[in-house]
Amino acid sequence: MSWTLPGVLRRNPYLFTLALLVLAMFANYSFQENFFELRVVNGTLRGLLPTMLLTVGQAIVIIGGGIDLSVGTMVSMINAVLVTSISADSTPEQIAGAILLAVLVGVIAGGFNGFCVAFLRLQPIVTTYATSFIFSGIALEVLPRPGGNIPRELSNAYRQPLFEIPVAVYVIAVVLLLWFILRSTRYGQFLFAVGGKSDAAYTTGVPVTFVKFSTYVWAGFFAAMAALALTLLTGSGDPRLGDGMTLTTIVAVVLGGTRLSGGQGGIFGAIMGVALLTLVSNIISFANISTWFQDLANALIIIVALAGPETLRMLRRIIRR
Amino acid sequence: MVALSAQHVVKRYGGVVALADGNLNVRSGEVVAMLGANGSGKSTLSKIITGVVAPDEGSLTVDGQPVSFRSPQAARKMGITAVYQELSLVPDLTVNENIWLRHEPLRAGLLVNGAKMRTRTRELLALFEGTVHHLGPDVPVKNLPPGERQVVEILKALSTDPRLLILDEATASLDSQQVDRLFELIARWKAEGKAIVFVSHRMDEIFRVADRATVLRSGRTVDDTPIGQTSHEALVQLMIAGAAPNRTALPSVEQERSVVVEASNLSAGALKGVSFAVRAGEILGIGGLQGQGQSDLLLALFGAVPYSGQVKLEGRPVRFRHPREAMEQRVAFVPGDRGAEGLLYIRSILENLHLPSWSRFGTPLKMGQARAEATETAASLSLVMASLDAPVSSLSGGNAQKVVLGKWLSRKPVLFLLNDPTKGVDVGAKGEFYELLMRLCAQGTAIILYSSDDDELLGLCHRVLVLHDGTVAAELDAGRDLTHENLVAASLGSSQERAL
Repeated sequence: MSWTLPGVLRRNPYLFTLALLVLAMFANYSFQENFFELRVVNGTLRGLLPTMLLTVGQAIVIIGGGIDLSVGTMVSMINAVLVTSISADSTPEQIAGAILLAVLVGVIAGGFNGFCVAFLRLQPIVTTYATSFIFSGIALEVLPRPGGNIPRELSNAYRQPLFEIPVAVYVIAVVLLLWFILRSTRYGQFLFAVGGKSDAAYTTGVPVTFVKFSTYVWAGFFAAMAALALTLLTGSGDPRLGDGMTLTTIVAVVLGGTRLSGGQGGIFGAIMGVALLTLVSNIISFANISTWFQDLANALIIIVALAGPETLRMLRRIIRR
Repeated sequence: MVALSAQHVVKRYGGVVALADGNLNVRSGEVVAMLGANGSGKSTLSKIITGVVAPDEGSLTVDGQPVSFRSPQAARKMGITAVYQELSLVPDLTVNENIWLRHEPLRAGLLVNGAKMRTRTRELLALFEGTVHHLGPDVPVKNLPPGERQVVEILKALSTDPRLLILDEATASLDSQQVDRLFELIARWKAEGKAIVFVSHRMDEIFRVADRATVLRSGRTVDDTPIGQTSHEALVQLMIAGAAPNRTALPSVEQERSVVVEASNLSAGALKGVSFAVRAGEILGIGGLQGQGQSDLLLALFGAVPYSGQVKLEGRPVRFRHPREAMEQRVAFVPGDRGAEGLLYIRSILENLHLPSWSRFGTPLKMGQARAEATETAASLSLVMASLDAPVSSLSGGNAQKVVLGKWLSRKPVLFLLNDPTKGVDVGAKGEFYELLMRLCAQGTAIILYSSDDDELLGLCHRVLVLHDGTVAAELDAGRDLTHENLVAASLGSSQERAL
């Protein structure tokens, strides 16, 4: 194993994003002096968590060689299901039941995507684009207009730090732990093999169809987790709540060093990608840039982050010559 | 102990019969060589034995019990594993991860035991110690040279501790040291009671390791003989017997016709310093086993790959850095893979025919003129089509290939390069295709044709260069020594005299 900079960069393609993230944190700090105070950190992370969870699912799908354009509307649908099955005075049993229902809906929705892509061999982009409208339709059917309430204690539990540590930190730690366990199981090897070269994996006897199917189920499961976090954050329902999240998850996954064609990458990078995207839009809103240019600035920073590693490599080549 | 027997196995792909009557028997402690010319069905038969491909007819027995494998995994459970010619490795995974994929040693039945995996990988790597230089458990496979990837492939098959091991052209990308080591290992495995099927084109290797030889010809097993009771010449005869090629009447090339292209000391990819010249109206065939540098030769002349050496076109030295430059000098190229390189499948026949020459029709495009010319071209190609606006995907393989040719016809090329153009084309369309080549030839176009079909080289070419390991093994002249025997002998890398 080589410990030279290019070698380490190649194995951990998210390092560039990590560097940008640290930079963004200090830039944020310069605008917002209390940025590192617990209250603010808690607020930032609490806002980040739903997208992070959704991105974890997206990353698994992309590593396995697919893509899921329906995760955003899945969040909307599950949010609608959650708020219609809970009211402000629900009992803990009812709440547990609703959460179980949410997970079930997510897994079934993901399973449907997986069935179409893995078993019927339909194109992932087109299939999940189509199913995204199904989920959106169901969301509107279940909850025709924004509204609904959840018990106040529930949102408070999500908002307050637990033992001086934000709730989101526990969640992220559990997800990362799960990922590292998954990565070191046989299933983890299969995931990367299928995404890397599925016909070679097939010849080796890897259950390619099952692995592809399972990635979409994971996406559905994490969509349910994201919807749960988002519902706790907003405290109400909106049938369009998650629609805009899909593209963010894909950009975050790529920023995190995962190759769009699959077989390479990881969850750690994807989570950092989400953090970077959020901090960048924070900075832009603090920087008094007119709203007209906010999207432009955001887009430029994303392009720099994406082009970064390759540009560095090109520079190295030019210098060596 | 193990004994495998395949009886009367048949496999069809659509209308093409890949295997008409495949038979193979192999026992414990025995090395059987399976040989045959290009497309004789060797690879198909070995894929059937290992469960990659399901046979349409015939029976397979292991230890006397009939079996039918539904997946490679099922065959592996019976102890049957192959070292594949097209690599079954995942480039992004490490050597370690590739070797143990699907049978990773586990800790507590759940977690992959990385330490154990690494130790056992080192044990396996020790088998090839001294012959490999980049290999290590944690190296990604994509960073390895082809020979060492092949070694990983061999070790991967070995890691399942197979009872029957199929080596399908496993030596093709190994260097001589690695081949020697492999043969030592084969001798050891034989003594341990493994059964080995050795698929190879290399005669000398077959005589070094095999106990028996099974010969396939046009999808049929035609002979099964102990290696001691046969000879090099007898095996070559068996591989080619009965295939009498019909020669197309070729317009002869007068010696005074000008040399169109002259290459000296041309090296590119697998090609090592080849020199040749082609005159106007001449068809130069390029033969030999697949992957001996034939494609590199054509691509280099077309400026599609970097090369060294001198190329002269119509007497002037040229150095093409991009296909566009070659096209400007009226060099045309018909790629081997119609789908990937030759045609825009979903676009219309009209668009495809004019793709290289739209600039002739001005801005905005003179569509009337384009259509009139396309109609003319289509008629001269006798294209069987619904209309010029039908997508190319609606055409049969042969007609689609005529469109690829038609693209270039209107540009009146001086040099025409063809990379195995009739692969997967039916017989009727082949005939028409040959006529087109003849017509080009009569116009004075110089043609270089690489073909994996020996009959085509024998029937169509004025001269054939047989490549082996990137060099010219023989130059055969249609008037003198262009015979099937010489062609096969030269492609196997043996001298002409030996086969005669």
